Amino acid sequence: MTSSDQRLVWAFLAPTLLLLGVFLYYPMIGTVIESFYDTSFISPEPRFVGWSVYEKVLSSRAFPEVVWNSIVWTLGVVLLQNLLGFFTAMLLNQGLPAQGLTRALVLLPFVLPGVVTAILWRFMYDPQLGLINSLLIRLGVLQENAAWLASSDTAMAAVIFVAVWKGFPFSMLIYLAALQNVDKSQLEAATLDGAGPVRRLIDVTLPAIKDVVLVNIVLTLILTFNYFDIVWVMTRGGPQNATHIFPTKIFETGFGQFRFGEAATYGVFSILVLTVLVAIYIIVQRSAAARRPAG
Amino acid sequence: MTQSATTRWILIGFQLLLALFVLLPFFWMVSVSLKPATEPFAIPARLWPQAPTLENYVTAFRPEFRTYFMNSLIVSGASVLITVSLGLLAAYSFTRGRLLVITALMGLVVLAQMFPHSAIIIPFYKLMRSVDLLNTYASLILAYVSVTLPVAVWMLRGFLQKLPVSLEEAAAIDGAAPLRIFWEIVVPLARPGIIATSVYVLIVTWQEFLFALSFTSTKDMRTLPVGLNDFIGQYGIRYGELMASSVMVSVPVIAVFFFLQRYFVAGLTAGAVKG
Repeated sequence: MTSSDQRLVWAFLAPTLLLLGVFLYYPMIGTVIESFYDTSFISPEPRFVGWSVYEKVLSSRAFPEVVWNSIVWTLGVVLLQNLLGFFTAMLLNQGLPAQGLTRALVLLPFVLPGVVTAILWRFMYDPQLGLINSLLIRLGVLQENAAWLASSDTAMAAVIFVAVWKGFPFSMLIYLAALQNVDKSQLEAATLDGAGPVRRLIDVTLPAIKDVVLVNIVLTLILTFNYFDIVWVMTRGGPQNATHIFPTKIFETGFGQFRFGEAATYGVFSILVLTVLVAIYIIVQRSAAARRPAG
Repeated sequence: MTQSATTRWILIGFQLLLALFVLLPFFWMVSVSLKPATEPFAIPARLWPQAPTLENYVTAFRPEFRTYFMNSLIVSGASVLITVSLGLLAAYSFTRGRLLVITALMGLVVLAQMFPHSAIIIPFYKLMRSVDLLNTYASLILAYVSVTLPVAVWMLRGFLQKLPVSLEEAAAIDGAAPLRIFWEIVVPLARPGIIATSVYVLIVTWQEFLFALSFTSTKDMRTLPVGLNDFIGQYGIRYGELMASSVMVSVPVIAVFFFLQRYFVAGLTAGAVKG
């Protein structure tokens, strides 16, 4: 590139940098600033109050619930989604009949819009009209209709199940691509040495795709922690806060109750969590890149 | 790989179970959308309607649905166009620029794709309010372009990195201006990447819910996901119409995705596997 080309490089970059600066980076800082101001429906004019919104949020009953729910939600979805995604990828890499068709069909939930997914599953879970209860009763698993989303014992599990249903195809895609890069000759050598399928998985396949697995787990942690639509449409954080996670709590506090300061404080906590996750992501990816042969 | 016949049958069984797990909800959605209002759908749930009818679709395709559909089409269409254009320009600079500062800026772009939308939405909302853009297409398009740009740049950069620089160098020696090289050599070669990225932006913006819910307050500006969410209250227990609307919202993205999926899958996995 000559020096006149350098001007072109910057001209091409300018719109993207400007947009990201104004609409992503500035709001991130804005949330931190906002958290030191108190706004409410009665007094919509922001008033600087120092750490007092933090004290209010931290001492509220809802805060530990939201933290706990976010942990259960994030770990539950990530773990199940990656396990199911991995085993689906293994299964669809065996050369069975109708493999291509199954692969394409499995991607359907991934493309189904989030709000549609939520509405469809609200209906599936409906105590009287839903398919789940009528199937489970017919199979003899349940004696009477269960209110999956209306009971605080089952609501979180029910929502996690839906997120896994929608999310596992994405993990499957990534793992399938990784599996197809595993050295076939190593697998064959292991088979000749008498290694069964489980040994081959542990000794050859897993070490070969370890980096992809790690990066993918951290990536899904970040995405899952930020999830909003499915939870909001299915439960609105209820019943009795049983499914309130950071994004739904922020939305409800901010746009439902117009308490922007409190919503922003929840936002700051979620930024802190995210910073830790991103740091882990960078470390994992760096060490993965370092272990890769040069080139 | 060698499999015994029994193993193979067990694996095929698992594959059928998998297909059932994925498809049963879709099947149920379509089936209920085709059931006449007079036919009960539960206790015990009948899987397929006795007398399938399109009446739910006719009722669900009401004027407000058409408005939401148009709004979604406009907002998503504009977002795809703007994001992919700006993303391609930026990605070109990120692959061809040699300065250290450019590498650092790419880091900031990658970082931005992980920002939680719920954590930036309040300042974003206030910004839109202060310039009087709430409840306009512009506010949603600005939001969608901003949140999809990081991944778009990252995907397009992956594609551009694979293009041979020699073609561009040869054109430069022949005296072609940098802009012409970009327009006549790089853009045509980057077509698979452009398609993959467009599909990504379409999938994300077609279903975007949080910004649309926060930024639009009147019915004439709402997009499909928000409108569908409103229907839950309005339709009450009229699931037939709700499912018919759901099918109509989903069919466009599913169709585009299956038509163009090989591009999209290549774009997504190339980046994600290679890092």
